[in-house]
Amino acid sequence: MSLLEVEDVHTYYGESHVLEGVTLDVEEGEVVALVGRNGVGKTTTLRSILQLTPPREGDVRYDGESLVGLDTHEVADRGVGWIPEDRRVFAHLTVEENVRLSVPPGSDEEAGLETAFEAFPDLREFADRDAGTLSGGQQQMLSIARGLVNENELLLVDEPSEGLAPLIVENVAESLQAVAEDTTLLLVEQNLPLALDLADRFYVVDHGEVVDEGSTEGVATDDERFERLSA
Amino acid sequence: MTGALGTVVEVFVSGMAKASLYAMMALGLTLIFGLLGVLNFAHGSLTMVGAYVAGLVMVTFATGSGLAAVGWFLVAALVAAVLVGGVGAVMEVGLIRKLYDRPPIYQILLTFGVTLVIDELARIVVLFYGLQPRADWRGALGTKPGFVDSNTALLGASVPNLELFELAFGVLTVVAVWAFLTQTRYGLVVRAGSEDDEMAAALGVDVRRVFTVVFALGAGLAGLAGALLMWDPAWGASVPLASETLLPAFVVVIVGGLGTFRGTVIAAGLVGMVDAVTTYFFNEGIITFSGISELTIFLILVGVLVVRPQGIAGLAEVGGH
Repeated sequence: MSLLEVEDVHTYYGESHVLEGVTLDVEEGEVVALVGRNGVGKTTTLRSILQLTPPREGDVRYDGESLVGLDTHEVADRGVGWIPEDRRVFAHLTVEENVRLSVPPGSDEEAGLETAFEAFPDLREFADRDAGTLSGGQQQMLSIARGLVNENELLLVDEPSEGLAPLIVENVAESLQAVAEDTTLLLVEQNLPLALDLADRFYVVDHGEVVDEGSTEGVATDDERFERLSA
Repeated sequence: MTGALGTVVEVFVSGMAKASLYAMMALGLTLIFGLLGVLNFAHGSLTMVGAYVAGLVMVTFATGSGLAAVGWFLVAALVAAVLVGGVGAVMEVGLIRKLYDRPPIYQILLTFGVTLVIDELARIVVLFYGLQPRADWRGALGTKPGFVDSNTALLGASVPNLELFELAFGVLTVVAVWAFLTQTRYGLVVRAGSEDDEMAAALGVDVRRVFTVVFALGAGLAGLAGALLMWDPAWGASVPLASETLLPAFVVVIVGGLGTFRGTVIAAGLVGMVDAVTTYFFNEGIITFSGISELTIFLILVGVLVVRPQGIAGLAEVGGH
């Protein structure tokens, strides 16, 4: 049994049929990349898993249990975390408050803060600043730090490199690699070299469907396949 | 005879007491708007219900005088806050929740409708029990202990103890709400949930419950304000208290910058002080014109809207027509 099973999921925005039967699975400990062009349904797949945009048909199972019909906070309580596109840090909360809020109730907030600041030492310096005043790269660090201390077994990571300078992207990639050591990742990423570098397997999404899948091993050096995926 | 310093002290304390009352009237309104984006037109009616509930507790149960009566007042205020907060929770779950995704006009119309219902129900109840709906409830006013009705000598002034009591009550309430929002985990959850409900939910926050708690808290503050007004002869428990408090509450919230806690407190201070100063000059100083304080409040609103439309602490809108 896979940790996450997405089976023939159909999701709509109003009357717009966005996901037209997405099927994929993620094994425990894996990093799986969802790649594809803009607007093909990658982010909607993550939103459907989280029940932010609940599917109208199909099933999403986590650890063997269906998530369909649950509230998003109940999905989170089961161990599914989210590092969203555009970071979505709480701009009017300080960096420290953003991290504290992400520590699950009952867990040690101070230990969570220490974990976050050890992973991202820059954040310690800005602990008392409103998160909205941070740069894009710093906000991405904070977003990943929140995912880190939220004690998830599965993290859904959406476009972590979007809008960041190449040097910052390297830092983000290193951070995600560190997170992946003890967390399963489902990663949406348009930066194909980055996705292939981080992931064990990939799915290609097009027009709301999975159209290709496989292991990432050797793809980066297989020019013909790399070109096809890039297209 | 009061000297110049004494007059300044009297006007200052009066202004601060008025500021406390305005802050109490507006706090719940600004919390609900700032955190949920709902303009609750029923806020004044909830304040009026709080005044009647607190008055009922005082008239029915309060015994003794002096500090015992003040103790009973605190019990009555707590009962009013909890009961009116409960009404707010029912309103949010039963009515408001269904309209979060609709344009604001739906919420305004709904809460305005709730106001009409609550006011009519209150009118029926007070008539049934033989109370005059348009006059202040003298029985409730009469539960005030003698020392609250007397004055204290302060720096050459004779300051009404009721004003000092209102000032202390208002300051404690503002500090308590501020501490809840900034110093507690649930306050953190509330601020996060109101800023980005999807992200908060993805971090495990039950956002719907948070919204209910915020609405109940805002309504409970209206109930608390009502309890305080019930003892003040300038206000008192009456059905028209609903509209009498709603208008100044809206003025304070708009002047402060819609939905900002800090702005609301500053605006309450400004409106209270201007009210006290103009009341002094036009009631006792230059000419006698008792309607001036109400007029002044709305002049402040007009002035702020012209000079700084986003209010004292609000963020400027970009664009528009």
